[in-house]
Amino acid sequence: MPPVLSVERVRKSFGGVAAVNDVSLALEPGRIYGLIGPNGSGKTTLFNCITGIERLDAGRVSFRGERIDGLKPWQIARRGIGRTFQIIRVFPELTALENLLVVTRGARAEAERRGRELLEFVRLGDLAGEYAGNLSYGQQKLVEFVRMLMTEPTLILLDEPAAGVNRTLLNDLLDAVSRLRDAGKTVLLVEHDMKVVMGLCETVFVLDHGEKIAEGPPGAIQADARVIEAYFGR
Amino acid sequence: MAAAILSVLAALAAYPVVGTGYGVRSVQQIFMWIALAGSWNLISGLTGYVSFGHVAFFGAGAYAGAILVASAGWPWPLAALAGGAAAVVLAVVIGYPCLRLKGPYFAIAMLGLNEVLRALVSYFEGLTGGGNGLSLPTLDASVPIYYVMGVLAVVVTAMSWLIVTSRFGLRLMTIREDEVAAEAMGIDTFHHKLAALLLSAVGPGVAGALMARDQGYIEPISVFPLAITVTMIVMALFGGKGTVFGPVLGAAALFVAQEIVWARYPYVHPLLFGAIIVGVVLLMPRGVLGLLQQRYRLPRTI
Ligand SMILES: Nc1ncnc2c1ncn2[C@@H]1O[C@H](COP(=O)(O)OP(=O)(O)O)[C@@H](O)[C@H]1O
Ligand SMILES: [Mg+2]
Repeated sequence: MPPVLSVERVRKSFGGVAAVNDVSLALEPGRIYGLIGPNGSGKTTLFNCITGIERLDAGRVSFRGERIDGLKPWQIARRGIGRTFQIIRVFPELTALENLLVVTRGARAEAERRGRELLEFVRLGDLAGEYAGNLSYGQQKLVEFVRMLMTEPTLILLDEPAAGVNRTLLNDLLDAVSRLRDAGKTVLLVEHDMKVVMGLCETVFVLDHGEKIAEGPPGAIQADARVIEAYFGR
Repeated sequence: MAAAILSVLAALAAYPVVGTGYGVRSVQQIFMWIALAGSWNLISGLTGYVSFGHVAFFGAGAYAGAILVASAGWPWPLAALAGGAAAVVLAVVIGYPCLRLKGPYFAIAMLGLNEVLRALVSYFEGLTGGGNGLSLPTLDASVPIYYVMGVLAVVVTAMSWLIVTSRFGLRLMTIREDEVAAEAMGIDTFHHKLAALLLSAVGPGVAGALMARDQGYIEPISVFPLAITVTMIVMALFGGKGTVFGPVLGAAALFVAQEIVWARYPYVHPLLFGAIIVGVVLLMPRGVLGLLQQRYRLPRTI
């Protein structure tokens, strides 16, 4: 089987500074991958390159064997790549349920049923009719998470889902991520909490200054001299 | 609600039988402003892409309708439909380049469009009469035009209702809320904006052609003034942008206020309108219905 996602020698610079520099990685189906690295190391920019929000300066991105770099973000999303954002991007003046409905096509009644089901699943069933902008930070993150699930993606990119979310919510979220993996989806997770990464991911990629400096199982990554230097050195 | 709407419509339908000429003309003007403000709301209130040149569709409809009546001898109701079609064609032509621009640039491009159109109309004198204007054969059709304008207002409002309660309408709102997130969730924002712009051009196009027939004479400065755009924007903002009945309320309330103030204090009239704009933007950015909707959790159908 071809990799679900293959990123080949991708480069993206902002004003002469390479935010992502010659990064390659391949994701196999049905696994959870971690993407770690210090602040500013290019994790979010790499997500933006994969999802078409940023144009590549060089390299290519393929999804299920087909090139997707150069496509519009909405086209990439429709092919089955879902994401959440590091800085919350719900639609604040739409209700929680409407936030989920807008990403659906097909019969509306069925979409509403699924939307309510997903909101129940993250314990927001009672708040379905509330404007998303009035929800707490953690609740908005959950709305964003289930909104992404409504698009029925095969590849899921999560940009720091745990940041600012309380313990209980976090455990729910991580549970959900494992279950998605069990259902055959592929997950790429940006996360700072090493405990989370170690517990969940089979393979971890490490970025530093836009370059991939390590790749491997979490145990080996924690012992990697370059990774330790990137985080604690200098 | 439905009963209330039906009784208002019935009263308005009966009004020309008892109303004065001035009264009929005034209500017909309110219908026109409802159609204009409601149409502007479809693109700008829902997607947040502010059109500062919406009068261009009105002017295009006015000229298309007037030329067809004056030169081709079309009956005016047919010419009115053609005015709507002309405005839609214009919307396609300018929507393709302009809707790729981000919000503020779109606003300015639309302003420019209106100036370009006015210049073109003045230039093609043979067809349009240029700066001398265009006269239509005399005809008193003020009562039939009253009814057609009324139907137009109802159609625009019904269309708003259908859109706002649909997922298509909610998707238009996601563009206003966060266009990047909308795209990342698989929403083709460009074609949604284009569809909204086309729908928002129909009402002004038809209204322009009806107005041309009613007045019997048009010239570039009378159908392309920035003031018409500003007025429809203020009406939609006052009533509540993004709501169904906000533009209706804004059009009726501000038209009546304007008539009263204009009759009594002709010199401070522009000042008052300016004050309303500033007041609404500062104190009530959601407008009357937008405010009520948020505060009392009213459904989107208001
Ligand atoms: N849109 C942008 N314009 C300019 N610089 C950017 C932009 N996005 C990211 N950067 C820069 O690219 C680098 C990588 O940022 P980012 O991808 O957000 O890192 P991370 O997500 O790993 O914290 C940083 O130096 C950041 O300042
Ligand atoms: Mg980041």
